[in-house]
Amino acid sequence: MTQNLEPNQTIKPFNFSKNFKQIPFYLLVSAYAFVIVLPLLTLFSASLRSDADLYAPTFLPPHFTLEPYRLALTSYPLGHYLLNSFLTSSLITLGVVITSSTAGYALARVKLPYRELIFGAIVGLLLVPGEITFLPLYLHVNSLGWLDTYTALIVPFIASPLGIFLMRQFLKSLPQDLFDAAKIDGAGHFRILWHVAIPLASSALGALAALTFLGAWNMYLWPLVTTQSKEMQTAQIAVSNLVSAEGSQWNVVAAGAILVLLPTLLAFLVAQKAFVSGIALGGLKG
Amino acid sequence: MNQSASSQTPASVAPQGSRLKHLKGEWLEGLLLLSPAVILLLSFIVYPTISGAVLSFQREDPFGKSREWAGFANYLELASRPEFLASMFTTLKFTLLVAPLELLLGLIAALLVWRPFAGSNFFRTLFFLTTAVPTSVAAVAWGWFLNPLSGWANWIVRALGLPVQPWLTDPSYAIWTLGVITAWAGVGFVAILLTAGLQGIPEDLYEAARLDGATAWVQFWKITLPLLSPTLFLVGLLTLFRSLTAFGQIHLLTKGGPAESTFVWVYRVYQDAFFNFRFTYAAAEGLTLFLALLLLAALQFRFFGRKVHYE
Amino acid sequence: MKKFLVAGSLVALSMALAQQNAKTEIQFWHSMGGVLGERVEGLVKEFNDSQTVTTVKSTYVGSYDDGINKLLAGIRAGKVPNLIQVYDIGSRTMVDSGAIEPLENIAKANNFDIDQFVPQPRNYYTVDGKLNAMPFNSSNPLLYMNTAMLAKAGIPYRNSWRLSDLEAAARKLTIKDASGATLRYGIAIPIDSWFVEQFSYNSGEYFCNNENGRKARASEMNFTNPADVAFVDWWARMVKDGVMANIGRSGDNAQAAFAQEKAAIVAQSTASLTGLLKLVGGKFETRTAFFPYLKERNGVAIGGASLYAMKGQSADELKSTWGFISFLLKPNSQAKWHLGTGYFPVIKGVAQLPNVVQAHVKQPNFETALRQLETTKVNNYSAGCLAGAFPEIRQYVAGAIEEAIKGKPAAEALRDAKVKADAALDRYNSAIKK
Repeated sequence: MTQNLEPNQTIKPFNFSKNFKQIPFYLLVSAYAFVIVLPLLTLFSASLRSDADLYAPTFLPPHFTLEPYRLALTSYPLGHYLLNSFLTSSLITLGVVITSSTAGYALARVKLPYRELIFGAIVGLLLVPGEITFLPLYLHVNSLGWLDTYTALIVPFIASPLGIFLMRQFLKSLPQDLFDAAKIDGAGHFRILWHVAIPLASSALGALAALTFLGAWNMYLWPLVTTQSKEMQTAQIAVSNLVSAEGSQWNVVAAGAILVLLPTLLAFLVAQKAFVSGIALGGLKG
Repeated sequence: MNQSASSQTPASVAPQGSRLKHLKGEWLEGLLLLSPAVILLLSFIVYPTISGAVLSFQREDPFGKSREWAGFANYLELASRPEFLASMFTTLKFTLLVAPLELLLGLIAALLVWRPFAGSNFFRTLFFLTTAVPTSVAAVAWGWFLNPLSGWANWIVRALGLPVQPWLTDPSYAIWTLGVITAWAGVGFVAILLTAGLQGIPEDLYEAARLDGATAWVQFWKITLPLLSPTLFLVGLLTLFRSLTAFGQIHLLTKGGPAESTFVWVYRVYQDAFFNFRFTYAAAEGLTLFLALLLLAALQFRFFGRKVHYE
Repeated sequence: MKKFLVAGSLVALSMALAQQNAKTEIQFWHSMGGVLGERVEGLVKEFNDSQTVTTVKSTYVGSYDDGINKLLAGIRAGKVPNLIQVYDIGSRTMVDSGAIEPLENIAKANNFDIDQFVPQPRNYYTVDGKLNAMPFNSSNPLLYMNTAMLAKAGIPYRNSWRLSDLEAAARKLTIKDASGATLRYGIAIPIDSWFVEQFSYNSGEYFCNNENGRKARASEMNFTNPADVAFVDWWARMVKDGVMANIGRSGDNAQAAFAQEKAAIVAQSTASLTGLLKLVGGKFETRTAFFPYLKERNGVAIGGASLYAMKGQSADELKSTWGFISFLLKPNSQAKWHLGTGYFPVIKGVAQLPNVVQAHVKQPNFETALRQLETTKVNNYSAGCLAGAFPEIRQYVAGAIEEAIKGKPAAEALRDAKVKADAALDRYNSAIKK
């Protein structure tokens, strides 16, 4: 939980008059934080209410109950949906990390004909957002017979122009001698990639992984149109189904949504530092 | 690992004479390294983009049984329908709200927490929190918060002595409400990026400015903003693309309504493809959107890209 | 060790597969969520438990819209379920798809007399002279009334309402504070084209041309008829006057408003009966009444959905599909479904079963939909509009209500919507002809 983006600055000892002046500042940060968490708090509050108390105008539920959670869990295999999300996001992340390192390395460190041209074309692909290609991609995946399979959820996304771009830039920025030393030892490119480039790029790869995982976990449109059966649906689609099926019982919808939120929230709280530095690195380079 | 063992040979045995052989070995390795990614990109980005373009010049029945060439018919229909312009306009409105709002709120958040203070970790966690909230959960939370009769938002509004507001049910409100929701969902991400950006500005610049007697206000305009501008530019691009491609929150909260007021472009493509079952027409819409995005990106680079301060 | 585990699980897997192969598996897609979903799953389970040859695998595929869209996508991919539930307004599209096996054919092959069906639902799903689907969950729109509020306001309960009478009652039931802000609404209706359609039928108007698309394929919408203009105008006025709550397009919000005693009357489908009563939970007494009409009551069309058997099934599969359908049509299943949900039975004579009669005495609200059905004239008004591109058209109608609430004159809003709807219908019809 500790997060020190700036280790060289230390927190000054408590000083009453100075802190007194800081009251407006604390009011401001608290107000901002309150606005940010308010919708989530209302959702959480709704998830702990019985049908009868659902609309009672109180901040806290008048009588706490876990019944909505029981209902959400018994009528929907939320665990399975979360597992699907986890599985697809992890495999997409793994795929992106691998393809980005190999292609990024080839484009940065291997003497290839038309290397710059290939790189330029990949950079051009950065401008093609998935929301544009989803329709023809859907028809493509459909004609391959992949609808309602993990393949459809994973394979189209395991190569990422952004990932390749990031890795190429990163590997290009490393000093040449690191690679020359390995070459003199007689190592081939695969070996240099594995023993030199990847260890050096671990922080960049971590950033890429965090970004990719987050993006994959949040995918909504794609699983919405490519999955049909319960077995294949992801947590995002589970929420969509909850809304259309249980809309008259918002406490159950809220409980389901909280359960879907929990894994990412916990992951964020536990690994906040990695997440934050990962996003900062990946996002800024991108 | 087998490959790495065999690929060793050309490099290790290569005397000066077999330079070409060596290069060929290197090409082979490079090809092996590059091809998986390239094949995947070709099949899942390049091919769909091209086939989408081809599709947009065709016509078919709702069941995909017959497909035939239709020339520019889909584009002509696009141009003749008022929905086309209306969607463009809605998307523009939405983007012009979301991108600046997200950037502004994210900047405020970052400026509040980038320096350590007592409790800074706690507040950073809260400020960055929405990064961990999936779109669907964000939409559900806000849907409940803004519920027309018994949502907390109206409950608060009423407590303040104001009339109850039709957040998502009035055609003139809904798009703005959705914009705020979208900005809320994205602001954590923006705050993370901008906090990192702020921390990348060398502290001695501020110290020197303080010695010169510059106020915090002057420091912000003379140091923070110029040095943060590359980050702001990139984050701006990011928020722009994010807001132009918003989908989940619209699908869950308004489905384009009320009175088509939240029919942003991506939602229209989805609607025409998967609801009205007119894939070819939707493909034409998608391609038009793509070209519009390209144009916008080019414009942004032209007008803002130059002004950005690079170190 | 690991190898053993893998081998073991492979054996287990193949055994499981073999077991599944022994029974014919029927894929059944439905769109019943919440209480309704529980009831469907209950029926499926009961059927499966009674079976040695067939297993029905039911899947909730999202809303009705999601369901038909997944089916159309499946038709392209050649991957369709054996049986699918499709909403009323998807009928034209389903028939046009050519991908269905008309129910009448299957019924005939299995010596099932389709005269057993209640006439109105049979009428609705009869297209080009053939019954295409099994009317499964048939509903009609009802008014749900809080009788305690009605009594307090001195309004006697009755089951039939002219629009003007309903307005007077709603105005009386509305409570406002000193500043004029509404504390309790007289009525709430979710913004849904279905109610506009039903108002047409109930007032003796067609919603689309060629007698609701029953004499010939509909080529134009007819919701600019006097009844609908009056209804939408009424709707907008009631919202403006703070008598009707504008709760958006969600029926769930209407039910919530009613259960919270924030609206005295709501319009909802009979399908919401069980769920709504559960939501109210005995806080007050609820009575249901017929849907309103303009001048003279014709009766409404059925809504809800029906089950389509898909073409291209093997003989075994088709037999199993029919087995499940005929199970659902058994008087016992019909009674269970009716009393568990509020949908009315589609087989004649079910309403006269002793346990159904008994349940009706205990909870008279279950009878309202049936009475409304029985008193409905069987004609092409109440047959309901049959048109392509209906889901898209519905959106334009809902948009027109929203425009009217915002201040556009109702006639103009509906006229503008008609232009868009006719264009959509035209596009559909010309795409089908090719």
